Amino acid sequence: MVSTVSQLFDNDYDDEGFRTCSVTGLEIHRSAENHVKLFGLTAVIALVVGGFFAISVAMTRWEVIGLMDEADYYRHLSMHAWNLLIFWLVFMEIAILYVGGPMVLGRRLPLTTVAKAGWLLMVAGAIGVNYFIWTVSGAEVEPLLTAYVPLNVPTGFYASAVVFLLGATVAAVPFFATIWKEKRWGTRKTLPLAAFGAFVTGIIAVQAILGGISAFSYALVWKLGIIETINSGAYRTLFWTIGHGSQQINLLAMITVWYFLTHVVGGAVVVSEKVSRSAFILYLFFINLGAAHHLMADPALGVGWKLFNTSYAFYGAAFASMIHAFAIPAGLEAGRRQRGLGGGLFGWLTSAPWRNPVFSATIFSIILFGFVGGITGVLMGQLQLNMTWHNTFATVGHFHATVAVGTTLAFMGLVFFVVQTMFRRDFVSGVLASLVPYFYAGAMGIATLVMIYLGILYGVPRRTSSVVRNIPGADFSISAAAPLMSLFGVFAVLAILAGALFILVTLGSLLFGARLDTGEDAGLRPDGGLKPDGGESVHAVDMRGTFAMCLIFMATFVALYVINWFLLVQLWSIGA
Amino acid sequence: MSDQRTSRSLRWYLGRLWRDLLSVYYANTPIWRWLKSGALVFFGFFAWMSGTVLLSVRPEWGFLTYVMAYGFLLLFWGPFTHFVVVPVSIRLRRTAEHPTVRAVNRHAGKINLSIFFTLVLVFGTFTPGIMMFEFDPGLGDGEQDDVRGTLVCDVDDDVVSCHVDGAQGIDHVVATSGGEVVATVDEPPFAFEVHTDELQETRTGNELVVEYRDESGELLRRQVRTF
Repeated sequence: MVSTVSQLFDNDYDDEGFRTCSVTGLEIHRSAENHVKLFGLTAVIALVVGGFFAISVAMTRWEVIGLMDEADYYRHLSMHAWNLLIFWLVFMEIAILYVGGPMVLGRRLPLTTVAKAGWLLMVAGAIGVNYFIWTVSGAEVEPLLTAYVPLNVPTGFYASAVVFLLGATVAAVPFFATIWKEKRWGTRKTLPLAAFGAFVTGIIAVQAILGGISAFSYALVWKLGIIETINSGAYRTLFWTIGHGSQQINLLAMITVWYFLTHVVGGAVVVSEKVSRSAFILYLFFINLGAAHHLMADPALGVGWKLFNTSYAFYGAAFASMIHAFAIPAGLEAGRRQRGLGGGLFGWLTSAPWRNPVFSATIFSIILFGFVGGITGVLMGQLQLNMTWHNTFATVGHFHATVAVGTTLAFMGLVFFVVQTMFRRDFVSGVLASLVPYFYAGAMGIATLVMIYLGILYGVPRRTSSVVRNIPGADFSISAAAPLMSLFGVFAVLAILAGALFILVTLGSLLFGARLDTGEDAGLRPDGGLKPDGGESVHAVDMRGTFAMCLIFMATFVALYVINWFLLVQLWSIGA
Repeated sequence: MSDQRTSRSLRWYLGRLWRDLLSVYYANTPIWRWLKSGALVFFGFFAWMSGTVLLSVRPEWGFLTYVMAYGFLLLFWGPFTHFVVVPVSIRLRRTAEHPTVRAVNRHAGKINLSIFFTLVLVFGTFTPGIMMFEFDPGLGDGEQDDVRGTLVCDVDDDVVSCHVDGAQGIDHVVATSGGEVVATVDEPPFAFEVHTDELQETRTGNELVVEYRDESGELLRRQVRTF
């Protein structure tokens, strides 16, 4: 077993520790590759833990089964949330920084001791958070992701959260050192787009993490009795820089992965480097301000502050997303048309390698994130519309659309990619691997949609396990929501099965998959290779397929916008 | 001259749009089948639920039942069309020998859409239960069902006194805490008293669960109070 695991960290490197990737053509150093594997595998373990608690959470909210009582449900929900929203994603994001930095730039990972120290701190913090959530008793309560003070949560929880966040900051240092070295001694005038995206992701991550360290440290010193009182408004504002900022790290990391994977397995080109870079810069200034939408119902904050963050600042971030939403499919369309791979409106898309799970996971992530997560994010991020979404199950639907479908699917694709290109293992079953993105995207996509409609249609609250029979403390029931709740339960179970299949294929391939020989590309290279075969310049290529998809997207956006405003007007009977 | 060019150009674009639509409809590779079916299920769900949401606030807008019917049927008809109708139609175009089969097959797309829209009209007009959602919030105002009553509780010297105001359609009331029955009352206004010591402590206080039940003991409504 030990030898099997140690073999996972072994590849054929030259005397200087480099090897050439047979898929991407990148010069990869052992130090970078092994740390990507280390952080990636840890992320998958967190996914297993969080996914396990998805079973109990879903089986409780599906009230026909009603697996647990309220207190146990909250404990399991906390385990589910921390392991999936934070640990699975942040460990993956550090791995992505090492791919986007040293790997793309063809450098060794500097400060490997620091990287290992960061990993150790992160693991210690993650174990601590899990321990304190699981063992909480007496007057103390389980801290969900939104562990607002003065909620009486264990002191060790705050300390563990700080340790984890410090670890993530430490782990990011070697990445920034790589970028600094590249700019100081490198020969490139500009960073490649993937490295640039990773760099902006890193900056946003540090910004968010520092906010998180501030928030949890503030709560920690209050819990230790070093300070008597705490300003809960200030805590909430600080908390959301990590609470929502962590999801913005996901967004940027995911978009970087989209650019990277559509290029290496789909043959996409970058239509305009400047435009895509400008979109990343817009994120840098505006995306973290999106955290404000959690505080729209907070009486402590001024309306001016809320309006600025949810309109002017918000447009900057939404505009950036629109640019990526066009640039990535346009790059795919242009790249494939340049190779002569697809006529008609969508031939370039349907002729793509859909049996390759890396490709299908990436494309489903783009589509579902854009249509479900992105649009709902803009809707509920608005000051006025936030009132109809706030703290309903629709909010849970929104972040499952962004994180569980969008980011997780993209990262699943990346894990499959890493299994074949870095661990050099073939899938233990190609058919099952191909099935995973379809199964997961379909089941989780529908479960997510149902959550959104349950929140909007019935106002089902987000954190109460018993909804159909009773909402504690309220005089009304929403038993009419029972059919949709059952629909949610069925698709949640299917999504969990799809997630389990992903884990089985990944771990099965690592342990029992056939070793890929040096130079073998496992069918990952796009038709015609990575470079377009000449012909028309990218600006002369027909991109009407992307244009048509963008029109469909805009029509959906407008329709949902109008419906949501109409519902809001009906609730308040404006003008009546 | 300019108008003519504009006219020709517009016709050309419309023609291309129609050809694109036809090519997408008849595209029949495995991935096309999956993509079209998935997109139609997604769109069907959107139309069904959007119609439902709007109908919940504007019940007088009857035309929304047709939007709901369209979305609801699309959930099944979309995959059926692209996994069954289109592949069979394309196969028969090459292999069918009987003139009637060939004639029917030539219009398979039109026939399929006609049946679909006829079903939309039928479902939109007669609205089967499976397609419709209830919106009764169970507020207890007695207008939408025959069960009503407001639980009123006061606390005085650690004694909780409760009764049900305006009770209707309730046979008896069972009060529990921590799974233990603390009171059962058969007569309106279902008044009872409980000492707070008898109530299980939860993180939000001492919890009392009051259930309204019918003659056979079936749960009608459940109220939870903490003190």
